[in-house]
Amino acid sequence: MIKVKNINDFSVDTEDYDLVLKIRQEADIAVARQMVKDFAKKNGFSLADVTKIATVVSELSRNIQRYAKKGYICARKKHGKDGNVLLEVLAYDNGPGIKDVELAVTGGYTTSQRSLGLGLSGVRRLMDTFKIISEEGKGTIVITEIRRRTF
Amino acid sequence: MSDKVVPIIKLYDYLIVPIQIELDDITVEKLQMQLLNEISAKKARGVILDVSMVDVIDSYISYVLSETAAMAKAMGCHTVICKIQPNVALTLAQMGIKLENVYTANSLESALEILNQLD
Ligand SMILES: Nc1ncnc2c1ncn2[C@@H]1O[C@H](COP(=O)(O)OP(=O)(O)OP(=O)(O)O)[C@@H](O)[C@H]1O
Ligand SMILES: [Mg+2]
Repeated sequence: MIKVKNINDFSVDTEDYDLVLKIRQEADIAVARQMVKDFAKKNGFSLADVTKIATVVSELSRNIQRYAKKGYICARKKHGKDGNVLLEVLAYDNGPGIKDVELAVTGGYTTSQRSLGLGLSGVRRLMDTFKIISEEGKGTIVITEIRRRTF
Repeated sequence: MSDKVVPIIKLYDYLIVPIQIELDDITVEKLQMQLLNEISAKKARGVILDVSMVDVIDSYISYVLSETAAMAKAMGCHTVICKIQPNVALTLAQMGIKLENVYTANSLESALEILNQLD
């Protein structure tokens, strides 16, 4: 399966990822959370980090479901320049996009009725790197990484 | 599909609720409905939510829990969230999420103590 998607000249090839999970309906959120969690565990991430990663997947897949209706959660293991192991989570959708990305990642901003608006800002605080690419009418990509910590 | 998603144990005027299910959007909404119905039916003055089995609490679940507690309060019922996993607490704190309208306890005993002192 090769899919090349493009938002703001940024393309994603799902072939590059260890895990590619479709988000189509509510139940897919729990599945995605569980799959990425198992993947992180298998790759030696601490229980604290596994909890953070599962929460991140929960936030990103819920945003896909809520705002774009469908999309993908992808995950892969990477090696950083310093030999560190990283886990990358990518969320992709072809939904309505975000008008003001800066505002959306500011904690407390939400366009939903019953929400704290702390999803994206929370993801940014939990992870080591965070990038969001969004274009109105085209979709949204969130790419975020966490380093594996050794004790 | 049943609308009852959790077992509810009645003790004195209190309800003890062990949450042993994945909290996705649908179950968390059902949990809210079930709790509010039981609080009303049993005239409960306190509810203890045991979340020791819950390994992800994200911003939406936090919102619904706080909202439920606010509704319970309006019905004269206090809410104690009990035995939150350390990693879940850490994650919530790092995200800047605070559970509102609830008391927190690290054991069932101290949860009951909190409720007793509120009377
Ligand atoms: N994939 C997406 N597509 C379109 N808009 C999005 C997407 N993700 C987030 N947004 C927009 O960014 C805002 C902030 O998102 P965030 O996840 O931080 O909060 P929320 O979803 O509103 O609430 P919470 O996550 O706390 O339940 C949303 O209200 C929505 O307007
Ligand atoms: Mg959100």
